[in-house]
Amino acid sequence: MFSKENRLEKFKDAETIIGASIKVKGNFQGQGDIIIEGSLEGSLKTEANIFIGDRAKVVASVESKDVVINGEVRGNIKAKNYLSIGGTAKIYGDVQYAEISIEKGATINGQLLMISDDGKKHEKNKFENREEEPAK
Amino acid sequence: MHVYIYDDYLNKSKFNKAINRMEIRLTDLGLNGKIIRLGGIKNIKGAIQNEIRLGAQTVIAVGNNQTVNKIIGAIIDSEIYPDFQKKTLLGIIPIGDDNSIAASLGIKSVDEACNILLARRIEKIDLGLADKHYFLNQATIQSSGTILEINGCTLEMTERGEVKIINLLSDLKETIKSNPHDGKLEILIRTKNRDESYLTSSGFKLSNPEEKLLIDGIATVNTPVELGVMKDKVSVIVGRDRLFE
Repeated sequence: MFSKENRLEKFKDAETIIGASIKVKGNFQGQGDIIIEGSLEGSLKTEANIFIGDRAKVVASVESKDVVINGEVRGNIKAKNYLSIGGTAKIYGDVQYAEISIEKGATINGQLLMISDDGKKHEKNKFENREEEPAK
Repeated sequence: MHVYIYDDYLNKSKFNKAINRMEIRLTDLGLNGKIIRLGGIKNIKGAIQNEIRLGAQTVIAVGNNQTVNKIIGAIIDSEIYPDFQKKTLLGIIPIGDDNSIAASLGIKSVDEACNILLARRIEKIDLGLADKHYFLNQATIQSSGTILEINGCTLEMTERGEVKIINLLSDLKETIKSNPHDGKLEILIRTKNRDESYLTSSGFKLSNPEEKLLIDGIATVNTPVELGVMKDKVSVIVGRDRLFE
């Protein structure tokens, strides 16, 4: 589980880091942790965790175990385990998660769907271009 | 049988002292062997291949990165390679500048190199491949304008800086991990704005219409170029302080 302090710390041994100066196009797949600080178009998938930095622009579907989002994502997101949405995040797409935290200031335009233990999706909420209230 | 391949630049008088010292040390350790001086040989590949054919157990590059690459270039694509892989080890005694390969293997001085030859600590390591050119350490190119194609993805770089494609890490200060046994190349992109990207791949295509790829600091290759790895291709004698596990 991420906390504010260890969000990026957890990724210090990341298999892949895409810096702010890099533009990626295509279906990007990995097995280890991935950090995205640049731009990516296509899809993004790993068996481990994904960190999307506050300068990142991702136009892609995103799928992994834990996902931390601080930048802009246009596409559907699936966090099989835990999804952390930071205060600078802008999400335009549907979001699936097992657990979630949302910081004040985040923008979400799409549906939030919880993945339950039995694998079924439960629609929790639908947001349309609104700013999320702080997590309690 | 040990075969010492002396690079041609060692004919210069400024290296006499280092050579004499090395030869005395090797004699003291009982590591004497045949000496081949590349300065007087036109067919370098043939000479090196012949020594392996004659049963050389250890071929030792006395010189720098270029010497090592000459030996590897003479062996890898030749009919002698199966014999080399089964019976022969590669050793290095670094003399002069441009010895990043030796440094990566934990060999920092002539004296240390002699002791390491005696200890015979052996590691099989990968070779990087850029089209038909082999490299032990790394290949580099200017980042601006460079495009990588990896597993159906393209990575475009617009900022000035450097792309390093690393097989065997040579910089002691470098913080990334690089493993020359894993069948992968590490790709490290650093821009002037201190932006850093890092990924690994076993094979990819690189292109840059304005720049050439520099291999182990000595040879250039035109792009587009296919890069890959040949796993566990060379058995080398390494020091305890090598930069990999």
